[in-house]
Amino acid sequence: MREAKQLRLNRTSNYMKRYWTLYLMLLLPIAFIIIFRYIPMAYILNAFKVNNILRPPWELPWAGNNGFEWFIKAFRSRDFLFALRNTFMLNILDLVIGFPAPILLALLLNELSFKRFKRITQTVVYLPHFLSWIIISGLALRLFAPNDGFVNIILARMGRNTIPFLNDPAHWVGSYVTLGIWKEAGWNTIIYLAAITAISPELYEAAAVDGASRLRRIWHITLPGLRPTIIILLILSLGRILGSDFDRPFALGNKMVRSVYNVISIFVYEYGIKGMQFSLSSAVGLFQSAVGVVFLFSANALAKRYGERGVW
Amino acid sequence: MKRTLLFLLLVCLMATTGFTAAFAEAPEIVDGRFATTRQITVEIYDRAREGGSPVDNNFYTDYIKEGMLRDHNVEVTFIPVPRWTEVDVLNNLLAAGDAPDVSVTYSYPTIVTYGTMGGVTDLAPYLEENKDMLTDLWALLGDENIYWNKQPESGTIWALEAKLFVNKRINTFVREDWLKKLDIQEPKTLAEFEAMLVAFRDNAELLLGENAGNMIPYSTSFDVGWRNDHLLTSFVPEQFSEKEKYTHDFDDRHLLFPNYKEGVRVLNNWYNQGLIWKDFPLYPAGDSTEDNLLKAGYVGAFIHNWDYPYRNGQDSIHANVQRAYGEDAGYIAVEPFANDEGIYRKYLSAPIDRKIFFPATNDEPVASLLYLNFLSELENRRFLQIGEEGVTHEVLESGAVRTIAVQGEKIMNSPNNIDYTIVINGLDLGDPEKNVMSIALGYDTVDQRYIERAYALSDKDARYTKNYSVGVITAEEGMNTVLPNKRDTFLTQSVAAAADDFDKVYDTGFEDYLSTGGQAIIDERIAAFEKYYE
Repeated sequence: MREAKQLRLNRTSNYMKRYWTLYLMLLLPIAFIIIFRYIPMAYILNAFKVNNILRPPWELPWAGNNGFEWFIKAFRSRDFLFALRNTFMLNILDLVIGFPAPILLALLLNELSFKRFKRITQTVVYLPHFLSWIIISGLALRLFAPNDGFVNIILARMGRNTIPFLNDPAHWVGSYVTLGIWKEAGWNTIIYLAAITAISPELYEAAAVDGASRLRRIWHITLPGLRPTIIILLILSLGRILGSDFDRPFALGNKMVRSVYNVISIFVYEYGIKGMQFSLSSAVGLFQSAVGVVFLFSANALAKRYGERGVW
Repeated sequence: MKRTLLFLLLVCLMATTGFTAAFAEAPEIVDGRFATTRQITVEIYDRAREGGSPVDNNFYTDYIKEGMLRDHNVEVTFIPVPRWTEVDVLNNLLAAGDAPDVSVTYSYPTIVTYGTMGGVTDLAPYLEENKDMLTDLWALLGDENIYWNKQPESGTIWALEAKLFVNKRINTFVREDWLKKLDIQEPKTLAEFEAMLVAFRDNAELLLGENAGNMIPYSTSFDVGWRNDHLLTSFVPEQFSEKEKYTHDFDDRHLLFPNYKEGVRVLNNWYNQGLIWKDFPLYPAGDSTEDNLLKAGYVGAFIHNWDYPYRNGQDSIHANVQRAYGEDAGYIAVEPFANDEGIYRKYLSAPIDRKIFFPATNDEPVASLLYLNFLSELENRRFLQIGEEGVTHEVLESGAVRTIAVQGEKIMNSPNNIDYTIVINGLDLGDPEKNVMSIALGYDTVDQRYIERAYALSDKDARYTKNYSVGVITAEEGMNTVLPNKRDTFLTQSVAAAADDFDKVYDTGFEDYLSTGGQAIIDERIAAFEKYYE
């Protein structure tokens, strides 16, 4: 019994002797997460305290209504309710339309047989990822402005009606989603392409011998091989369902489409940073995170229930 | 024993250092000069002017830095803040505790929001204690601007109001050469103005030749209230009481003035007739697209800052248009919009301009006040406004000063270096007659008659805002950017709406503006006005 304990101890110390540098390296990211992710959480208290950013929240008195004043105020604010709706709407559209796009693209790239062409294509579709939304919004204005935009100038010359890509709410939502796909789909294929390389080539060979067509092989081999990756990424995106980019809607938005581009991050920016209502925006941020956590856990539980691995 | 002795010695040592420290704390100023060098930081607007010099390090900042060190033994560091997003950036700096010691903004509500959190220095005691050192500041601003923001009950002063020395605001400009080409008289009424815009639109081929497709009879921006002010306020009835004006005046675009909507309806009508630049709603603050259209000469008429087309020397709109279309081309100020009693009323602010305040993080309030006093000295602000004789200006026989636009290190990044002279807006040479003559000469090669016309029309028949000191209106807190943003949004949407939707878009937007906080401010202002002034 004692010997067994001794043996285990020895094994642990040997293990640590050999790998301690790796653990040392791990300290850095852990410290990062503690300092920049956990310690600032103390300031969540701001959501329940009177609005003052000059003193630490633990020194401040509680806000009205047992500390829930800001939550009540948010849910009474029409701007917030619109922001909530818009965040859901844009994220769900991104999910429904934007999520499958990189999968399709990865399948297509995988089927390309000219190696060089495949590589060039891959690089070209990654590139937009490295442009900031500010640049893309500038490009979008040049291309899609109702009067001075290149596309509309061409349409007008052809005698067609111009299309209000950026100044009509419904069209704007379309432009928003499309530009999102254009920017990120290529980049997101990387993880799928990596997963595809892990699929055994023997399966394809066997299927080919059995006379399976290309589409059959994609359907019965590639896609099932990708399934765990797809599920994990899907769960993670569901966790972000109420999260919102700031730069994307902010850069692409304009006064005409206010009713759809006002998302939660923009609400927080306008009321919190610009209007200096820090407690209100903390409350909104906390609510946003809470909903995100609920979605993440439920998606994970659901995935497990249907026999998938889940995130944890 | 030894230990006790040592302890006593230590206590004595601490006490003496403590005392000396306490004595050293007392401000040792001899003839306005600190015995030990003090450091302050000062906000400076950055207009990111093309070809300009770095705003925090150039010929003029050197003048200030050297002068402050010489006269007051104070080292000055400039903190650039982008001009067109100054409120946003300042808010970030304030929230982070990094705001410059001498901060400046056009937004008093920002100062109030921050002040109620305890983040702004109360200037009242420092002003009283150091009054005899601040004679130049007092001479320039006067009791009126210094005590403008004094709160009636507490006596707190969070901000000083800079002097709006040349109280000009806005003008309506039209292409003079186009009027001649089409043989149209200068418009004197709204109907004539509209007919002129229609004529511009219908004669695009004649006026712009192959660029006819770019014709923009009338141009505006998302800032509908500012950029159409004379048109919009001409719909406000002449009989409009001071009480009603005060309680509805917190929006500086005059949105809440009665009958404003009818003015916006005219714009909507123009927009749908193709008289207004179609893409204006898409471009945000600070975007130069519209300026480029103006410089390219595609625009027939617009409303803007009183001297807008003439600013910036050889890069002015006027100079660009002249280069492209000949000597006769150019914009001239006109006065087409009269109110219900036939008066061309302009609603102008009181003679106040930027608000100067010290955040609570300012450890050198006296040095900072001396900085303001330094800027207020006639010699100093005169130098900053007109620069060196023979280089950036020449003195004519009449005594008037003609500014010379220069490139390179002595370039002025803003007209008359307005961004450095934060205590004053508008040229002041110390003599009213020379001032007017010099202002007219101050626009490089632009013909004097254009400037004189713009100068005269901009404040003709003006009604000025009066000061009602009622203290903090709590409903205004946190609303300083939310409400203007809502205003710009729904006004832009109303202008660009289909004619049938106009009422719906405007009324929904207006109702939203009121319910988000506008109505609460009006109500609180009414109560405060009745308490202190009735």
